[in-house]
Order: sequence, then structure tokens, then C-alpha cells
Amino acid sequence: MRLFLFAFALLAVSFLNAQNRYTLSGTVSEANSNETLIGVSILVPELSTGAVTNEYGFYSLTLPEGTYEVVITYLGFQDIRREVTLNSSQRIDFQMGEEAEQLDEVILTEDVERLDIRKPQMSVSALSVETIKRIPVVLGEADVIKSIILLPGVTNAGEASSGFNVRGGAVDQNLILLDEAIIFNSSHLFGFFSVFNPDAIKDVKLFKGGIPARYGGRVSSVLEIFQKEGNSKEFHMSGGIGAVASRLLAEGPIVKDKAAFLIGGRASYAHLFTPLFDIDNRAYFYDLNTKLNYKVDDRNSLFLSGYFGRDLFSISDLFVNTYGNAVINFRWNHIFSDKLFSNLSLIYSDYYYGLELDFVGFEWDSGIQNFNLKYDLKHYLSDKLQVNYGLNSIYYVFNPGKIIPNGEDSGIIEEQLTKKYANENAVYADVSHEITDKISLGYGLRISQFNRLGQDEFFVYENDNPVDFDPFSLVYQEATPIDTLTSGRGETLANFFNLEPRFSIAYAMNDRNSVKASYTRMAQYLHLLSNTSSPTPLDVWTPSGPYVEPQLLDQYALGYFRNSKNGEYSIETEVFYKDVQNRIDYIDGANLIANNAIEQVILNGEARAYGWEFLLRKNNGPLTGWLAYTLSRSEQRTPGRDLDIDNGRSGMETGINLGEWYSTPYDKTHDITLFLNYELNKKWSFNANFIYQTGQPTNYPIGQFQFEGLVVPYFGLRNQERLPDFNRLDIAATLRPSNPTGKKFRGEWVFSIYNVYNRMNAASINFRQNQDTGRNEAVRTSIFGIVPAVTYNFRF
Amino acid sequence: MKKWFLYFLVCATALAGCEDVIDVETPSEDPRLVVEGLLRVDTTQMFIPVEIKLTQTSNFFGTIEPVTDVDEIVIIIQELNEDGFPEGSTGTSSLTQLDPGSGIYVPDPSFDNDQRIPVSAVLEANLEFTLVISWRGRRYAAQTRYVPSVPIDELRVGDNTLFGDEGTEVIVRFTDRPEEGDFYIFDFGFGNYLVTEDTFYNGQEFEFSYFYDEEFEPGTALEIGLLGADRTFYNYMDLLIEQTNGAQGPFQTPVATVRGNVFDVTSLDNDEVVDNAQQPDTFGLGYFAIVQEFRSTLTIE
Repeated sequence: MRLFLFAFALLAVSFLNAQNRYTLSGTVSEANSNETLIGVSILVPELSTGAVTNEYGFYSLTLPEGTYEVVITYLGFQDIRREVTLNSSQRIDFQMGEEAEQLDEVILTEDVERLDIRKPQMSVSALSVETIKRIPVVLGEADVIKSIILLPGVTNAGEASSGFNVRGGAVDQNLILLDEAIIFNSSHLFGFFSVFNPDAIKDVKLFKGGIPARYGGRVSSVLEIFQKEGNSKEFHMSGGIGAVASRLLAEGPIVKDKAAFLIGGRASYAHLFTPLFDIDNRAYFYDLNTKLNYKVDDRNSLFLSGYFGRDLFSISDLFVNTYGNAVINFRWNHIFSDKLFSNLSLIYSDYYYGLELDFVGFEWDSGIQNFNLKYDLKHYLSDKLQVNYGLNSIYYVFNPGKIIPNGEDSGIIEEQLTKKYANENAVYADVSHEITDKISLGYGLRISQFNRLGQDEFFVYENDNPVDFDPFSLVYQEATPIDTLTSGRGETLANFFNLEPRFSIAYAMNDRNSVKASYTRMAQYLHLLSNTSSPTPLDVWTPSGPYVEPQLLDQYALGYFRNSKNGEYSIETEVFYKDVQNRIDYIDGANLIANNAIEQVILNGEARAYGWEFLLRKNNGPLTGWLAYTLSRSEQRTPGRDLDIDNGRSGMETGINLGEWYSTPYDKTHDITLFLNYELNKKWSFNANFIYQTGQPTNYPIGQFQFEGLVVPYFGLRNQERLPDFNRLDIAATLRPSNPTGKKFRGEWVFSIYNVYNRMNAASINFRQNQDTGRNEAVRTSIFGIVPAVTYNFRF
Repeated sequence: MKKWFLYFLVCATALAGCEDVIDVETPSEDPRLVVEGLLRVDTTQMFIPVEIKLTQTSNFFGTIEPVTDVDEIVIIIQELNEDGFPEGSTGTSSLTQLDPGSGIYVPDPSFDNDQRIPVSAVLEANLEFTLVISWRGRRYAAQTRYVPSVPIDELRVGDNTLFGDEGTEVIVRFTDRPEEGDFYIFDFGFGNYLVTEDTFYNGQEFEFSYFYDEEFEPGTALEIGLLGADRTFYNYMDLLIEQTNGAQGPFQTPVATVRGNVFDVTSLDNDEVVDNAQQPDTFGLGYFAIVQEFRSTLTIE
């Protein structure tokens, strides 16, 4: 509260300033496509001030009356220097031309970096699309998710896993936004590829901490991806042909300089070859990105986009599995005035998961649909003060599953697991405030509210306890409901309300050094219940309700940032501490799949993570790259519940792992990444990346016993052991054949080798009895050995 | 049902990944008592085949030894009334190790009274059985009630295979009991088990396929059993199957000690006090259950 009063006071002061101030505003776009550019710096060196374009390329800078040289600068593009006489508010749109292919030193790096040093935003990583395409990944396919794992503080559960972990957080704690729409499953083929087509991407940003109030709903991170809108100047195509999958993208104007389209698709085709090897199994994916944009006038733009992706996996037609996301998104940018920008988004998304098991005789359909309305306003009050505010409302329908007999002779009875409905609403206000030349503040508040709506069948338990604890056997088991209620959609089963304050501060010691600190509080109302080491597509997103509390996070971070004199090197280092209340864990042997009463197998606990991240980047010259190191610990605790003795309970429960802290399944102590990119000349460039991670926690049996012909391993406390350390080296070389001038067609060959020294990294270690010898053995499963690949990318 | 989901999910990575046997050292602890007390009742016979096999746990790479030094092992039978409370007659069945060193305990033939348990007792009255064992200064108890089953309607061989050309498909058909909440365990022999519950086919005839990894010679007779189970035994077998040949790889579910229904009752004064929370480390493993079994044979042609 005090902070807000302080802010208002400062606002008042700045308004009272007698001198006339005028606003320079407009959009910055790419000269040969009209594609708006995100994060472009608009600098006024003599006033030591500037602005940055927002997600739609819009900037607004309020300055005192006068004549200034304005410098527009953006990596990969030629700087623009323009003299502007500001004696009234003006709109100037800038068009930037691409830089020559050589990676020259960026002029005025000083001014660029100065801006970053001063901004209070910390814990954010931005990756350019060019970098993403350079990182050698398995089978030569460029991949957004695999690339962000190379940044400090980000890991994943292994090579066949989908999702990623940020600062010791779980995979369901990442908010993944594709053009403002929420994506629930970010991978194809069980994690081998991500759902993002790199050709269609314009900007990628990952917030690991210090998350601004305009984001909410997930507690660990925000991965924000903006796609290209479409070239409204001329028609272009680009694509790539790879070993496993290929992609093609076409974009062009519908009405020159006013309306454009973009359509891009990817498909894999390895399954076409499997019959040659007498394998009757198929696995493939395809996705399609379609966009239409229409610039109504200088103040209004409309965007309509659709994404459709599907995966199919089948085992000789006996078992067929289909799943994927479908999203349709309508956006309207409206510029109210030169200081007030707004965006309205209307989004519908559908995540579908289906199975057909022919030999048991049924079809299984499940999914989650959501309707989302977002209205975001960005108010550029002055060059020192910007306020973002808005609202967000989401309506969810969860279908945990419907089982349908697939033929007349099937013995299955059709059954619909109870659909769940919920409504998530939020309003926020977010302020960026440059207090003095050295101190910048960011502060905001998000107020979020969640309604769990009525559903067809709702179980009621004795004493509101859906999980029984047997104090004799010390085993948690599902409780039997004492009643089943029916409630209409208009009723509310549970209601949650949370205040999420956000605060960050940057103190710039000088042009090149700064210290930043932040505090973030966030609430998460949806949970991806998964008790396997890696999330499966069968995992169900569950809304909070009477038996499932929202996760609440408090994150504290402190960091030091430094750029070298000419911007050649930069160092970023941060320490963080996170605390999550209401982190769920599962009772032993919990079965989450097709479970109509998840509350019967979960227990409430807490989680925490803390660590140190270090990043050293080389930004200029023929050799660029970074070295990232993260030292961290991620753990959770699920104590026994306190139950009253009067009702026949002893009051003592063991909880999980005897109520002690234990490693989460994604706790990795050390995580080192080295990424290097070397531009030899115009034709050749080389990249390499080396990753080293502490092995993931796992379980070794503490003994074995036999029962009815089965030899069974048994285990003690969870996550006490670790898999062997994970390390891997990948290299790639890119060849760009010389392009005779005049020809529009450009191609490049990418030769890559994944896992150069063929290390069999353990994805898991399982203990079992050998079928043939009858002896017990430990079996390591690894996914990829050495994989060479060739990809051809083209553009015209 | 749910096991099928996971089983096939696993195959995605199994297909793509490589498996290697590696050397690891696993931790050890003191040996625990393991009770193999699954009594399969054939209602056409006169007596329940009471045969309790006792073994000890060992290190994962060690050898499993039988338990031969039991002080006392007895089954207490208590009649229950309609509400499930003890009322009526009680009896005991004392067991002894007939074959020294085998670890197998059967009704003691040296008693004057017949220690065997007749099948008629189980069919006529509502009984609760408690197995009590005294071993190395500790006392263990396990309680169970009889669970009926249903016969197998049909068994036949199919011609599909799951992976490649190896394997045998057996198609099973049976009819669920009309009540809700029925659980079944299929014993396909060679240590192959399958558990199922009637949620999706209550009261109906249900047919499904089971795939053996092996290819059987023509003339082989496969003996398949259908056992009844209550929820606790169903959960137990479910977990055992998962831990022996179920989901492997990155999609494995968190493992734990699969505790059966055998409790360490040494420090409890009487069976009314139910609190082991203070001593989470003392427990026995295995299961004691008395269930009906229907067996059918299928000869491969």
C-alpha cells in the first residue's frame, strides 16, 4: 500500500514539472516484410534515456521539447540515426534493414547495454531465433525447448521427456504462451520435438523469476513465444528437409502493406520406412500454423491465428494413440493515444488426447478446453514511468476421460468420468518506474481468483478426508465416499482468492554494473498430476477444488550484472530461493490414469528450491557463446496430516518419507552448459555445445522378496539414489553456399552430430529378474547414442 | 484396465531406447519375514489347501532363504455376524513345517483334532481368518476373509502379436459378478499375472486378450486361473506386477515397499490398539489371503 502512495506522489511530481513534454511514439518494423520487431531500443543519448518496443513493436517516449538525435538499434539490423524536432507529439514509424551477414561489432553497444543494466527486470533470458537454429540438437531439428535448457537454471528430466524444469520447479509450473495463448503440452512424440516451428517464431523469452504482474497462473516460469505475423511486402517461402521431419512455410501479402498471411507446417515421415524393417508400429506428428494479419489503420491492427498439431503413435493397429493441441486466437491491437496501447485477445484452445485399444475393445477420449479473454493496456506515462494493467479471464472444461466401446462385441460399458469446470480471473497493475538515474523499480499487484464450478458427480467423504491412513500398516489408501452430490454449473464447489504482489529493484552502480533484487508471489490453480518420472500425455490437468489447494509461491532473487567495456562480455549471476505451499505428492502406488477421484490418492505438502546461477556470455566477434553454471537444490516434504484423536485416529501419521525433506524427481545439483558458435567466414560456421548435469534422483531397491513365483524388489525412502551423471557433446557445421547476386533462393546445409562420444546416458535404471537366467539385474535404459544428421534449410 | 495404458506407453521409449545391464551396488538391511499365504480354494474339494511358505528378504543381488526357525504359526478362525463383527464360534489351525528346512508350513497332522480347514466352513459361515507367527522374538499377524470368484467362460488362442513375431495371444472371456466393486486376479502361469476390476464392465460378460512373450510349442497345455480378490489384495498384486514387469523407463511410477497385510504386532498389547506410527520400520512382507480360484486349461494346437 505504501509503495502505491509513493508511486502516486512521484507521478504527481513528474506531472507538475513545468517544462513542456511531448510524446514520440510509433512502431518499428522490418523494412522488407513489415514484421514488427520486439525489444528494439529507441535511444536519445544526450538525455540518457530511451524506450523499448513492446510485443507488438510499439514504443512511446515522452521527452521535453527540443531537438534530439534519436538512435534506433537492434541486434542483426542496421542502426538508424534520425534527428527529431520535438515541438509537438509525433508519430514516427521506423523501418529497419537487416545487417550484412558478417557479425560485425554492434555500434553503440554501450548505449544498448546501459538500458539493460538499469532495467529492474531480472531473471529473464531471451534467445534469438538465429541462436535457436544454430544449436545442434538430436536429428538436426532446431528446437525451442531443447535450446532453453542450455540456459542457467533450466533443465529437463532427460532425453525422452517433454517439458522442462526451471529453478527446481516442476514441469506443470511453467506458463507457456504462444502468441498469448496457453499451451498445455509443449512436445511432440514424447518429448523428442517441441510443438514450436522455429521458422514461424519471432521472439522467445523465458522469465525465471521477478515475473511481472501481467503474468500469472503458474509458479515457476513464463515462456513467452511470439510468432511472425506474415510478410505484407512480398511473398516468401522457407523450409527445411531433415532426416526425420521436414517443414515448409509460406508468407506473403494479401493486400500489400496492409494485410498478410503466413502458413507453415511440419510433418515427420520416419514411419513410412518402418514397414521396410518389418515393424508394424508407427509414430508421426504434424503441425500447422496459420496466421492472418490486417492493419486496419495506423491505430488498429487485427490478427487471427490458428495452430493445429497432432501426434499419432500406434502399435500394429491394436493400440492407437492420438493427441495434440488446437488453438485459435483473435487479437486486436488498438492505440488509444500516443501513450496508451492496448491489446485484446480472444482465445479458444482444445487439447485432445485419445486412445484406441482394439484388443480390449474400447476408445478413450479426454482433453481440456479453454476460452480465454485478455485485455492488456500499456500506458507509457513518461520515459521514466510505464504502467501496464489489464484483466484476464479463463473458462475451463476438463474432460478426464470418456470410455466408449469400439464395437458391438466389446464388453465395455460407455462411461464418462466426471467433467470438471472452472473459471480463473485476474486483474493486475504493473509499474516500471525509474526513480533516479541509478535506481529503477518495478512493482505491481495481481489479484487472482478461481472458482471451481459444480459438476455432475462430486464425492463427499467422512470428515472431509479423501485419503485414509491405516495406522496399523502405515499405508495410505483411497477412502470410500460416503455420498455423491450433483451440482449445476452455476454453483461453486470452491472459491480461491489470492493477492500476488511483485516487486523488483535495480541499482546501477555505473553504466556497466548493477545489482538487482526481486520478490514474486504467485498462485497456481491448475495442476498436472503426474507421478511418473517424466510426464506422459496421459497425465491429467486438475483444477483446484475442495480437496486440492492452489500452489502458492514466494520467490526471492538477488543478482549482479556486469558488462565489459565494449559489451564484448557480460556476466550475470543470481541467487534465488523459492518456497511453494500446497505442493501435491502421491501416496505409494497411486494410480492417476483414468482416476475419477484423484483426491483419494494425493497428499498435501510443500516444496522449496534454492540455488546459484552464473552466466558468462561472449557477445561479439567471430566466436560467441556462453558458459552457464547452476548449483541448486530442489526438495519437497509431505508430512502426515494432523487428525483428531477423538474420531478413532491416533493423531500420528507417517506422511511420505516419514515427513522428512526429500529430493524432488528433478533435483540436479550441478548443471553446466557451454555453447560456442564460430563464424569462420561467409560460408562456414561451426557450433558446439557441451552439457554436464548431476544425475536425476532415482530409487534403488533395498532388498528383494518372493511371492507366488514373482521375485519382487522393494524400496525404502523415495529418491535417495542418483542416476549416473549426464554429459554430452554435440557439434554442428553450417554451410551456406555462395549466392550469386540476384538470386532470391538461399540454402544452407547443416551437418550435426549429437552425442559425439556416444555416451549412454541413463534415462532410468530398472531392477528386474532376467527372464532367461532367473538372476536379478539392473538395467539402464538410454535413449540416444551418437546420432549424425543432415538438414537442408532454404528460403526464397 | 489402467495397467494397459501404462504398459503401452512404456513401449514408446522401449522401442527407441537401448537397454544395457550394468553393475550397481544396492543397499542392504536386516532380513524381514515374508509370508506367502495365498490360499486358492477349489470349492469342489473338501479342504482348503493350507500351505504357508515363509521366506526372508535379502539384498537385491543376494539369495532368498526360507524361514525354518519359526516358534509358532497358527491360523485363528473367528465367526462374524451379518455386520462383520465377531460373534459366534472360534477355532484354530496349528501349522508345522513337515519337511524340515523347506519353510513350508501345513496343518499339523500330529494333533488329535483335524487341523485342516474344511471348505464347507468357508461357504456356510462368515469367517475371519487371522494368521499369527512368532519368529525371532517378534510376533506377526495377518487378517483376511474369503473372497469368491467366477469361472472362465472361454479360452482360445488368437493370432495377433504385440511386438514382432514372437508371442502368443490368448483371448479370455468371463462374466462379472452382478455386484459392484469386484476385483479379479488372473494367473497366466510362469509368473504372469493380470489384475482387473469391474468398473467398466460391471455385471457384463467381458472379453480381452493377454499376450505371452513366449511362443509355445503345439501341444503345450496352459493352465490359467481366475482368482477373486478384495480391494486390498487387488492393490497389492497390482503393485507387485508393476514392480516386476510393469512400466519401466522414464514413465515408471514411484516405487515403494509393497506392504501386504502382514503386521508386526509384537509391542501391541492387544489387537484393539492399532498404532504402528511410532515404529514405521518394523513390518513383515507378503500377503495372507483365502480366495476362490477357477482354473481352465488351454491346449495350443
